[in-house]
Amino acid sequence: MRGVLGFALVLPPLLVLVFLVILPAISAVITTLTPATGVVTAAPLANYAEVLGTRTLRTDIVFTVIVTLVAVAMVFCLSYPLALYLRFVRTRIAALLGVVFMVPLFVPVVIASFAMITFLVGHGLVSTVLFRLGVERFPRLVYNATGIVLTEVWVSIPFAVLILGAGLQAIDDALIDSARDVGAGPLRTFLAIILPLNATPTMITLTLLFIAIFGSFTIPYLVGGNAPQMLGVTMTNYLTQYLRRTESATMAVIAFIIASVIGIVYVASVSRRERAAP
Amino acid sequence: MMSRKPPIRAVCAALSLALIAFVIGAAGPGAAQSPITLNVYINGDTNIFDLWNKTLLPAFTKRYPQYRANFVPLLHGNGSQGVLDKILAAKQANKPTDVDLWETDPTYVTQGAPNGLWVKLTTQLIPNLTRVPPDKLRATDYYSMPYRGSSVVIAYNTAFVKTPPRTLDDLLAWIKANPGKFTYCDPNTGGSGQAFMVAVVYKFAPMAQYTGGAPYDQAKEAAWDPAWQMLKGLEPAMYNNGFHPNGNVAVLQLLAQQNVYIAPVWSDMGTDYLKRGLLPKTVKLEQITPPLFGGDSTVTAPAGSTHLEGTFTLLNWLLTPEAQQMVITSVSGYPGVDWKYMPASVRQQFADVAKPYAPLPDSKYFADMQRLWHERVAGGG
Repeated sequence: MRGVLGFALVLPPLLVLVFLVILPAISAVITTLTPATGVVTAAPLANYAEVLGTRTLRTDIVFTVIVTLVAVAMVFCLSYPLALYLRFVRTRIAALLGVVFMVPLFVPVVIASFAMITFLVGHGLVSTVLFRLGVERFPRLVYNATGIVLTEVWVSIPFAVLILGAGLQAIDDALIDSARDVGAGPLRTFLAIILPLNATPTMITLTLLFIAIFGSFTIPYLVGGNAPQMLGVTMTNYLTQYLRRTESATMAVIAFIIASVIGIVYVASVSRRERAAP
Repeated sequence: MMSRKPPIRAVCAALSLALIAFVIGAAGPGAAQSPITLNVYINGDTNIFDLWNKTLLPAFTKRYPQYRANFVPLLHGNGSQGVLDKILAAKQANKPTDVDLWETDPTYVTQGAPNGLWVKLTTQLIPNLTRVPPDKLRATDYYSMPYRGSSVVIAYNTAFVKTPPRTLDDLLAWIKANPGKFTYCDPNTGGSGQAFMVAVVYKFAPMAQYTGGAPYDQAKEAAWDPAWQMLKGLEPAMYNNGFHPNGNVAVLQLLAQQNVYIAPVWSDMGTDYLKRGLLPKTVKLEQITPPLFGGDSTVTAPAGSTHLEGTFTLLNWLLTPEAQQMVITSVSGYPGVDWKYMPASVRQQFADVAKPYAPLPDSKYFADMQRLWHERVAGGG
């Protein structure tokens, strides 16, 4: 009886998943494997060959992966020290900083993007400050990869700090204290105790960040340049501007394959934690 | 072929009928002797909503107190497919539709025309239709009526450009001679950029092949190659070494900040920006030869409306000098009627831009142009 009730409760989200995600995804995959009308003798992977054979699209795919990796690395390098600070420093300033760093979480992405544009454009604050400091020649900061990375980093830091921080909270103070008692310095404590114990939240943070940034649309659309573009923008252009549904779906499947590699890492780290839990 | 109705259509039809029944039911009692309410569905941006809601409709109901207007906005055309489906469902069920007037894109007018969804407009129904240039009415086979228009023109800053280019070739030469002082928006993001791209394509390939419903043949696109080479060659002479901003507004801002001295802009947006002081007074607008493209905004009368008399009254009134003047004052549009019916002061105001404009390419060619621009011009290959 309880099983039936439980199933009834998960049924609505399950139906949404099946009818609005899985079935459309399958039909999209079928579309990409069907040759274009009029073409008689075409290999089943003709659409993929065409997409990957178009130089601009290849560039866009590589561009998307590189921008995502750079943004994830930057977010991670900035968030980890912050999460450590918020976990181990117990002062009023630390508590205040903890609140301040969460602010981007409550700013809509569109507004964050426009804020970054006004901040980074040719006559914006950053350029003005650099100019006053005597730096007259510097690379363009917006409408290119730099702008996308900076905005993605700004938007993603609170999320990364939250997940990393939650993992750090779970580490028992006694372990750290005992490490110190036997003479371990801060670096040794970090490398031998904190980093391994926080490995699963770290993997979760990295994979979720990758997938979120890889599939983002608003930031690359508003802050990115004309070319190369990230896949989210390219797919939208192919679907709505160029009226090329099949190419768009093919790119979506390619993007899905890339993201699912990362997804496997995520599932593996989560299930390892499940098994490790008592 | 059309007899088998896909189930999704049937579901939509049933839902729309339910909605119509609900609307009629709700409006039933109490609406008996009061003025007739016309449901006016308008596709557009907020400036067009203000034009209808704050200017045109109040003036119309003041002049014709037997009518009231219920304004239904469709921002950027969102929901247009739903409106078309609703009118179609009502037609198939032999029921009236609650849409009494619809301003929409030609593509929806064309889709609905074979099903007899629209009234074919004649001068018997709308006497003022004689003032509209006939070729504009022929464009949609008399199923819709242009009431305002705009085209892309060239904006130039007289503080820096002493002798403005009058032709496309002059403009192309000017761009090369003045690197960094011209740009157009990414054609995916705004019509002003599209118009410049299309003008260069038309320079090398005869426009008649790609406009006016010519059959689609991808092989004909090979003729565009020299255009892509030319546009690619212009990239180093663009603002910021090949930067194309997103959207029509971003280009106007570059003009306002005097980062660029010449750029293609929409006539109505440019005039409006000048009027509001958002562009320096030294900026002037002009149409070049051959002209950049433009288009008319049209209104359509659904045949299933139960208030067609009111719809025709409104359509006829829209073409009066009174209403046309409102269009010019509030959104700086071109009139839907022939320029000769407008006062001399208006003709004077638009003298540099009120010229014939080029037609838009057909949708498939247009989509391919935008894709190829990205592959061949922005993408660098």
